[in-house]
Amino acid sequence: MKHTTRELATLAVFGALWGVVEISLGSVLKTLNIPFSGVVLSSIGLTIALVGRVFVPKKGSTLFIGVIATLLKLFSIGGVIIGPMVGILTEALVAEIVLSISGKPKQSTHILAGALGVAWVLLQPFVTGPLLFGRTVFVVWLDLIDQGARYLGLNAAAAVWILVIFLVVYLVIGALVGWLAWGIARQLQIRQGRSLTVA
Amino acid sequence: MITARDLQISKLKAGSSPKLGTIGYLAIFIWSVVTVMVTPARLLPWAAALCLLAAALIYPRSFQRLLRWRWLLMIILLALPSVFFVGALDRSMAGIRYSSEGLTTAVQIVARILVVLVSVEGFTSSVDISSVGGLLERVGLRGLGFSIGVALNLLPTLQQSALNAWRSLWMRGGLRKKRWRGLRLLIMTILSNALGRAEEIALAAEARAYTPERSRALPVKVGRWDRMVVVLCATGLVVAVLTPFI
Repeated sequence: MKHTTRELATLAVFGALWGVVEISLGSVLKTLNIPFSGVVLSSIGLTIALVGRVFVPKKGSTLFIGVIATLLKLFSIGGVIIGPMVGILTEALVAEIVLSISGKPKQSTHILAGALGVAWVLLQPFVTGPLLFGRTVFVVWLDLIDQGARYLGLNAAAAVWILVIFLVVYLVIGALVGWLAWGIARQLQIRQGRSLTVA
Repeated sequence: MITARDLQISKLKAGSSPKLGTIGYLAIFIWSVVTVMVTPARLLPWAAALCLLAAALIYPRSFQRLLRWRWLLMIILLALPSVFFVGALDRSMAGIRYSSEGLTTAVQIVARILVVLVSVEGFTSSVDISSVGGLLERVGLRGLGFSIGVALNLLPTLQQSALNAWRSLWMRGGLRKKRWRGLRLLIMTILSNALGRAEEIALAAEARAYTPERSRALPVKVGRWDRMVVVLCATGLVVAVLTPFI
């Protein structure tokens, strides 16, 4: 993964932006225990990372942005919670894998990367819960069903439906993130008079 | 606003031994987290006690922060559901029925959370961000040290710039009508400012003849006990991984 000075500075700026969002907005949302704060944060973070990818269209650049944001979060005051750090890194990794497979930046892969990155927020507790905190998958599942029953107004017995609805909603939000990032990147490139890397 | 004080940029705080370097601390951090992750439930209290004892010896201050209400509440919220939802409700206390199996699970959850929180807190309070950047540079993320330095210096500026853009939009009624367009313009403005900063930084770095290929990786603090600690932690990890099969 070789980058020029200009690319490194660009990646640093995008990583810092994601870091700012996680440190300031993230801390507020987590402290106030606002529901779905993970989706909000990952949506903003992935928008930044995906726009960054358009400006540095090289393999590894999305992950690079994620690593910078993770380190900033790790070393911020009150940043002891390991969940957000794992979240940032994994979302960046998921987006990186999707974008690297396609090679050249494309709108469709940006949408897919956004969708899968945000969908990870739903799956993350099932991985970090048992691995890091020793919570059983069953308890994590119960939490999810309880949340679904409260916000969707569905009976807890319709567990599969709750999961499917959540997954679809997260995928749609993520797809919108990818689409938005693509549009913003295009407009930014036009505004700044740069050669378009997005068609 | 995020200031340099909010980020633990450079330190060798009291409570952290100068005999240990970045690699030593990293080895202890990995050992602690992986050990509580892979140790079987029956041995978890012992493993957690060992990790916490090591943390108490190496970074005693890391326990102070855990006494905040925020962390205690988080631990309770994560552990409590198991007491009522895991296993049969076979016991009762003060008229409240609970599961003994769930209680055991809850104790394990608390032990794991404590170890993870203490390890992260201890690691981040003993090692500075540039050392970690330097370490990551050596394992393939070339240029990360430069980027981390730029990102750290930019944090307050970017936050202020984003706040200014938000306030301008808010005061001019940009979110009253066409909110979606307003938000899009807000993101555009923030990113546009950020890209301007990136351009300035790149020009300044190039003017100083900086190139990522020729630059040296950021220094990593080396401690006298690092090697010994790495060997001990690696041995401990092997034991922890193999224990379930014995």
